Amino acid sequence: MKIDRRSFLSLGIGVTAGTTLSPLPWKLTDDLSIWTQMWPWTPVPKDGEVSYVHSVCTLCPGGCGISVRKVADRAVKIEGMDGYPGNDGSACPLGLSGLQLLYGPTAIQSPLKRVGERGAGKWQKISWEAAIAEVAEKIGRLREDGKAHTLGCITDSDCGTVPELFKRFLTAFGSPNFMRTPSCADTYEMTLKLMHGTDASPGFDVENANFVLSFGSGIIEGWGTPGRMFRAHSAWKDKKVKVVQAEPRLSNTAAKAGQWLPISPGTEGILALGLAHVIIKENLYDKNFVDNYSFGFEDWKDSTGKVCKGFKSVVTDRYTPGYVSGITGIDSGDIEALAREFAGASSPLAICGRGQGSVPGSIHEFMAVHALNALMGNLNRAGGVSAVQRADYITWPEPEPDRVAQNSLKNERADGAGSARYPYTKSLLTRLPAAINSAEESPIQALFVANANPCYTLPDTEQVREAFAKIPLIVSFAAHMNETAEMADIILPDLGHLERYEDVPTPFGMNTPMVGLARPVVSPRKGARHVGDALLLLAKQMGGSIAKAFPWTGYEDCLKKTMGKSWTGLTENGFVAKADYKPAGWDAAFATPSKKFQFMSEACGHEGKTGLGAVAAEGDPKAYPLVLIPYDSMRLSGGAVANTPFLTKTVADTVLTGKEAWAEVNPKTGGKLGLAEGVHATLTTPKGSVRVRVHFSNGMMPGMIAMPRGLGHTAPDAYLAGKGINLNALVGPVADPTSGLDAAWGIRANLVIA
Amino acid sequence: MKKAQEQNKPKKYGMVIDLDKCTGCGACMVACMAENNVPFKKDESNKKDSITWMRVYKLTNDEKYPDADICYLPRPCQHCEGQHGHSPCVSVCPATATDYSEETGIVSQIYTRCFGCRYCMAACPYHARYFNWWDPVWPEGMEKMLNPDVSPRMRGIVEKCSFCFHRYQSAMDKAHYEGRRDIEEGEYQTACTQACPAGAITFGDLNNPAHKVHELKKHPDAFRLLERLGTNPKIYYMSNREWVRKAGDNHLMAEKPAKKQH
Amino acid sequence: MSALEEKTKEVSEGGGFTMLFFIIGLVVSLIFGWVVFPELLYSQKKQPFDFNHALHSELVDEGCESCHFFREDGSYAGVPQLAQCVGCHEDVQGETEDEAIFVNEYVKTGQEVPWLVYSRQPDCVFFSHVAHVKTAGMDCQTCHGDIGQSTSLKVYEENRITGYSRDIWGKNIAGFKTHTWDRMKMDDCSECHVNLGVKQASVQTGKGACFVCHK
Repeated sequence: MKIDRRSFLSLGIGVTAGTTLSPLPWKLTDDLSIWTQMWPWTPVPKDGEVSYVHSVCTLCPGGCGISVRKVADRAVKIEGMDGYPGNDGSACPLGLSGLQLLYGPTAIQSPLKRVGERGAGKWQKISWEAAIAEVAEKIGRLREDGKAHTLGCITDSDCGTVPELFKRFLTAFGSPNFMRTPSCADTYEMTLKLMHGTDASPGFDVENANFVLSFGSGIIEGWGTPGRMFRAHSAWKDKKVKVVQAEPRLSNTAAKAGQWLPISPGTEGILALGLAHVIIKENLYDKNFVDNYSFGFEDWKDSTGKVCKGFKSVVTDRYTPGYVSGITGIDSGDIEALAREFAGASSPLAICGRGQGSVPGSIHEFMAVHALNALMGNLNRAGGVSAVQRADYITWPEPEPDRVAQNSLKNERADGAGSARYPYTKSLLTRLPAAINSAEESPIQALFVANANPCYTLPDTEQVREAFAKIPLIVSFAAHMNETAEMADIILPDLGHLERYEDVPTPFGMNTPMVGLARPVVSPRKGARHVGDALLLLAKQMGGSIAKAFPWTGYEDCLKKTMGKSWTGLTENGFVAKADYKPAGWDAAFATPSKKFQFMSEACGHEGKTGLGAVAAEGDPKAYPLVLIPYDSMRLSGGAVANTPFLTKTVADTVLTGKEAWAEVNPKTGGKLGLAEGVHATLTTPKGSVRVRVHFSNGMMPGMIAMPRGLGHTAPDAYLAGKGINLNALVGPVADPTSGLDAAWGIRANLVIA
Repeated sequence: MKKAQEQNKPKKYGMVIDLDKCTGCGACMVACMAENNVPFKKDESNKKDSITWMRVYKLTNDEKYPDADICYLPRPCQHCEGQHGHSPCVSVCPATATDYSEETGIVSQIYTRCFGCRYCMAACPYHARYFNWWDPVWPEGMEKMLNPDVSPRMRGIVEKCSFCFHRYQSAMDKAHYEGRRDIEEGEYQTACTQACPAGAITFGDLNNPAHKVHELKKHPDAFRLLERLGTNPKIYYMSNREWVRKAGDNHLMAEKPAKKQH
Repeated sequence: MSALEEKTKEVSEGGGFTMLFFIIGLVVSLIFGWVVFPELLYSQKKQPFDFNHALHSELVDEGCESCHFFREDGSYAGVPQLAQCVGCHEDVQGETEDEAIFVNEYVKTGQEVPWLVYSRQPDCVFFSHVAHVKTAGMDCQTCHGDIGQSTSLKVYEENRITGYSRDIWGKNIAGFKTHTWDRMKMDDCSECHVNLGVKQASVQTGKGACFVCHK
């Protein structure tokens, strides 16, 4: 018997019929459709109980209160913390994406020791014990060799327990070289020192000001505490408070302002003096304040009997609207109208510090701007500028340096701050690279870097890297790999910003003294330790008077003891603020020699002859016919913490395309140079040359080129490294003659089609 | 709480975005990405394949320096109502993967239902829909930040802004727990609304006179995007600058702009 | 096929063969589809250890909600976490082997028990327990049957293709159900919603809108 074709087909029909009548095809179809709805490799986030942890974001100096949503033990979302002073519920895009740092691949998992060439990225994992022992041994040798003063430290701040621990370590060790990363806070603090006589930071009552005159400050681009400034900015819109922005480029702040003054870059201080001229000439200033509480407005005789020119004479003699118009490019009629409008407001506020304020700026410019506030008597009162006393909660007993340290502390600082040349300046980090590079042996033999990334953020990056290469020992306390950690010999990884406790004192610009508490949102990763703990370990290892200066069992112990009674309030509310705080009245506010507000300071007396001139851009105008100005954006982090993947995702394709950065120029300028939208061009400054793509923007002042800060990272991050250009590499520092601080607002440049 | 008779009244959630307050900072975009498990790639500079449920566009007035002006325009899904819920995308979806709910006025997108034909993308005049050309990849460890309230998507499907519908679900859960059948305005807010540091976004029930959006949408400066298409979107924008309001609808050179009604 | 071949040899050639082959094909595939396929489709998995619902529910005051409770934000806590059990089970107190496993392997190590959840739904599903229990006043049995009275946990049958429990499709491979708790597919949710007229707000279907039970 054979199975013929007929039988076979019949079998097949039977199978088909049977299968159809069975659940198999229907069930399989259903199951397969469920399977293909969601591939097994698509992650399914685990559910759990939702809770919120209040903390403070420390990714930038703004110090916003944040509320982190957790699902079981995972942090899933960062939101602004309601009721936190300043930001009150709002947050910036960098802060909102902070979980990408917490859970991201750049977090350093254990202490690392460099094994390859410096900067080559070759590391060996070592234990904490070994790492601490090695650092202690190396810096111990410096002390033995009488070079204790060559230990330097760079952090992002000089107040709060962590910076104070570093200062204390240096003092006990015997070094004066504590350095803070530069920002406009440096110049503002010096302004207050010279004009108010106080060691304070500026507080701006932006919530109550009713006319805002900004000399290039990026009010909605990250200046001050971003969350707070955004909220104030919207409140101004509601209250119809006029904002005037003087800036060469149509920034977001300029676009949103009630009036944009397209000013020649670098001449902002001159404009301020021009406005003062009109205000004085037309008697629009606050006579009560000027007559009774100020000094240096009228001409005066100094101790030798020499007649010194007062602010009034200097301003009225020279800074006429016509003269100022010629320099600033602002119509003289506009200057007069603005001066009247400013003086007509009851709480007119003048602020400065370009962009996010990452460059300190010219002291004369800051003093000129601050003088406008003073002319209107808008100091230490609602809607004005006040001098906010520095945090006073750290009351540790002075460390007792041993003989070695005492002798060593007599040395001058390596950066020249506090020297006879720059007596009022506390920190001059931008001068350090040149000081190291010009010396035979680096004046800094060992360097601690915490919460800072100078190899990326300091101007003239090439010079900085060269200088760092000459420092025999660099210890980085970075939580995440960055350009400076890459240059280190030993990395002692710090806990990330959502893994650690830290006090966050009054951020720049806040007008009420306060302290916030950053606290662990999730349990910290195992290989890392709090920078404070690392320092305590190191002190213990050093022994002697250094160990004695640190009587705490750990950082948490130190913080709790330091905060004392405030600790309960801090942990319960997330912050402690003096709600009833009022700045000192005019009769008690000033600690200058005259006990009054000083329009003129002896510190800049010798500059009187040359006038309060504008800071020129570096470079020969013939070789470099254009000017490059950096700008800041909320979508790019130009500070020590680099962009997260989410933040980079928001960057426009006219700023970054693939790995190429774009340079903005006015179409007219571009046309003259033979450029077109999207073409490749070579941008050259005295510091270097890069390839860019050209973007035409009508918001650019002709003759200018603008590029954003925050790109061009080299540190390993697959989402950011190698993208765009680090503007700091193209701009060098220009020292302010009085303060020594970097006053560069741009640099001369050329743009040629590639 | 609202009165009992209003409890089952259909809601119509929508937004009014004040473009004069919007600073273009991008916080809404980032908050949205973090809240909704939006994936990210190593290079996101090709904006055609970059998934951003909320995208902030930069508008310029095309005037020469120094008369140039900038305005930022945040663009979530417009949750068009069209005629009786027949929004452009809902009408063309062959898979019932996108739907209009008459209860909330929200245009839904069900990822497990979508098979990626992208008709909806072609139909959407606002480019508010995005196609997953690749499977999402979270670097090792970063999947820990995923929000369990929102399903991660896989390649081959379309996704878009949901008005953070999961937040509505959570708010309703809380209301049910407390024996209420409805929620207050503040209980349900989208992630972008909550995050906007400028307070430029107001979100609420356009049908409910107690909600701020109800009044705001009638502001003389309020307008919607491409209104003449009849998509009947639920995102209103506000600006006191005429050129911005005009940019809300583009016209051919020869075409006469339609008269705007407030 | 060799068995088939032998059988076919026995039958003489003719039209009867065609029918016979048809019947053989039909019967074999019916057996395969109804009997073998379900066996192949599901893998049998044992729970980490056994649990006696009946015993526990006698000891608690508030029925199912004593352990399967709602949080204050209205979310449903689901299967109890270790922390809830530790209160009573810090040390072995009964005589069962299962409790000993629980205490020694989980309580003492602090590891959560990897329970296999019979009612686990795909990630895209949003189910508001609180809306059904508190607002609609439904009882647990309507969907979950009488698991609360069970003295031991049944074998967990996992669908090899989808990874979900057999309880979602239902024990009956044909998809027939006699009780409301026999199946947990979308159509079952929808059926009830349609019958009760719950939120029939979809423009596309005229039934329940997707954004009610989906996320």
